Amino acid sequence: MSPPLAAILSLSQLMVESNAGTMFELVKELHDGAEELKRHTTNPISLNAGCELFIAFVTLFPHESDSFAELKTELVKQGQKYAKEAISYRNKIAELMLDFIKDDSVILTHSYSRVVMRALLHAHKTKRISVYVTEARPRGLGVKTHEVLTAVGIPCTVVLDSAVAYVMDKVDFVLVGSEAVVESGGLINAVGSNQMAIIAKAAHKPFYALAESYKFHRLFPLSQYDLPTHNPSILSFPSLPPRPFVTPPTTSGVSPPIAKSGIDESLNVTPTSSSERSMSAEMTAKNPDVDYTRPDLISLVFSDVGILTPEAISQYLVAMFAG
Amino acid sequence: MSADLHGSQRAVETLVSKLRRRQVVGSREAALETVLVLRQVVSKARFSNIDQLISLIRSVGKRLVEAQPKEHSVGNTVRKLLHHIREEYNTAMTGNASSSKTVYSISNFVLQGQPRKQNVAPKSEATLTLKENDPDDPDSFARVLKPVLMEAIQDVLDELETVYDNISKNAKDHIHSDEIILTIGHSKTVETFLKVAAHHRSFTVIVAETGPSYNGHEMARALSSAGISSFLVPDSSIYAIMSRVNKVIIGAHAILANGGMFAITGSLLAANAARVHSTPVVVCAGQFKLTPLWNLYHDFGALDFADPSSVLGFEEGNLVDKVDVLNPYYDYVGPELVDVFITNDGDHPPSSVYRLIKETYDDDDHEL
Repeated sequence: MSPPLAAILSLSQLMVESNAGTMFELVKELHDGAEELKRHTTNPISLNAGCELFIAFVTLFPHESDSFAELKTELVKQGQKYAKEAISYRNKIAELMLDFIKDDSVILTHSYSRVVMRALLHAHKTKRISVYVTEARPRGLGVKTHEVLTAVGIPCTVVLDSAVAYVMDKVDFVLVGSEAVVESGGLINAVGSNQMAIIAKAAHKPFYALAESYKFHRLFPLSQYDLPTHNPSILSFPSLPPRPFVTPPTTSGVSPPIAKSGIDESLNVTPTSSSERSMSAEMTAKNPDVDYTRPDLISLVFSDVGILTPEAISQYLVAMFAG
Repeated sequence: MSADLHGSQRAVETLVSKLRRRQVVGSREAALETVLVLRQVVSKARFSNIDQLISLIRSVGKRLVEAQPKEHSVGNTVRKLLHHIREEYNTAMTGNASSSKTVYSISNFVLQGQPRKQNVAPKSEATLTLKENDPDDPDSFARVLKPVLMEAIQDVLDELETVYDNISKNAKDHIHSDEIILTIGHSKTVETFLKVAAHHRSFTVIVAETGPSYNGHEMARALSSAGISSFLVPDSSIYAIMSRVNKVIIGAHAILANGGMFAITGSLLAANAARVHSTPVVVCAGQFKLTPLWNLYHDFGALDFADPSSVLGFEEGNLVDKVDVLNPYYDYVGPELVDVFITNDGDHPPSSVYRLIKETYDDDDHEL
């Protein structure tokens, strides 16, 4: 179950157990609950989308009932009903996507996304497709995609994140899932999506995003660093020790090169037996998890609400949350 | 009674065969004929609840669309009619005490935004008492609803008949004096637009020949007979003269859901040349050309083909077997190349087309 739906269900549960007497208290409790949820996860964006949607719905619900308790039960019922229905949204999106996938298409996708999987498996029933998937470091979820697709019989190859430009000319279109779709009409997804979108635009390939409607988020990021997941430690440079530099260690390079070490050590580290090196956990921590793709790079967004251009998403979000 | 039914069925069959044989020429004519046939169908139809009527119209619409799938205005008219019918039915039913309340759910909230009052003026001023599926009097529902539906259909017909006038209403505001306009093909909409503007302004029109159909020749003749100074140029010079052109005004065959359009071959050439020179591209098209479809096939799949002999004649006997000749009749022009659509319902940029489609048609009707 995806985070926004889980958030909606847990907030509904919160309402059941709350003893708020007025709308104001109830909404305050919901806000506190949402804050609590967000505190416990490193990537709160999609969670946030679900919470905001539910809270906006609760606030704007037209109530004809006179008793507050009745209203609460109605809201809880709505929340649970929505979560149940929302499971079917992926099928709806897969159906919408089907017409856009031609026979013999070569598709490029990023990391692992359940809605993209559903769309690809659905298309596989009636059409021949082959898929390139990026490794999506550091979590490497692209390999999971590869396993799932190969098990079903779809030809699939994992490509390096750095090989996206290399492979782009062979691809018919790019298909990605989403963590959230934001008010500007842009997309927040696993890091690497923005890169892929820029390269797709340069190569004149369509870039399609699949997003269920509970991922529509009220955020309006002005740049990559405007995202709530961004913090000062990401992409920060290490603080170097004051000069003069220490003499290089005489031991052979057993310890992997650490970011905080002096500049010269990297020059004097003797190569390890393997020819590949990998980043340390500390290095990886300085890298972002998600990035923001601008709306002008996205061709279409497929959602259970319909097939929308990025401007249309913008209008939807304004209609939902503004006023 | 059954003769009436056969009468309307015969009308449908006649239109189906005319569409299949391409005897109906032009999107507006196709739309008009469709409305007339559907009016006959609705007036002779027998139904005791709204679903029967809607499925009847959908089945008729499906047959018409399948007869000529590239003539999008047929399907659009059917969808528009269904939308009107549902609207009339809903306003009639809200007057009824026994109407079911639509429960407001989160998915509705996402779909429509905040709950807001419907401020659409209902055609039926008097609250109609509608009884669906009445066992004693099965025709009561139909009897009560039909006059309202006939009015709605008449509205659609009126709109189609006044398309050219409405589009040309503000023609003089779009063209300044002494401008040089480029147009391509022979679109009646653009012709009327330019003729109306000519009453108030003096300007020059450059018409591209539009091979291989050479519709541009008729356009140039029609414009010059109206006193507009026109030049006829071959298609190859479109790019060359673009730096002197102030505006490109073209017609469309169909406007797609993403804001792109199908237009006569040569439009993509003109639009690209205009983009390079930052010249505005203005498209004049009636609202009945708005199609809730997408350009699913980036190559020829969605287009229509004309007779290849106008490209390579059969006299070239020895070439005919060796060469594959394609004569696509339409181009797909993407939304990024068009600046504004002038329709009988106002002017809209390509990015608002999705909203127009949402307002004009119902979501269920996208697939007939």
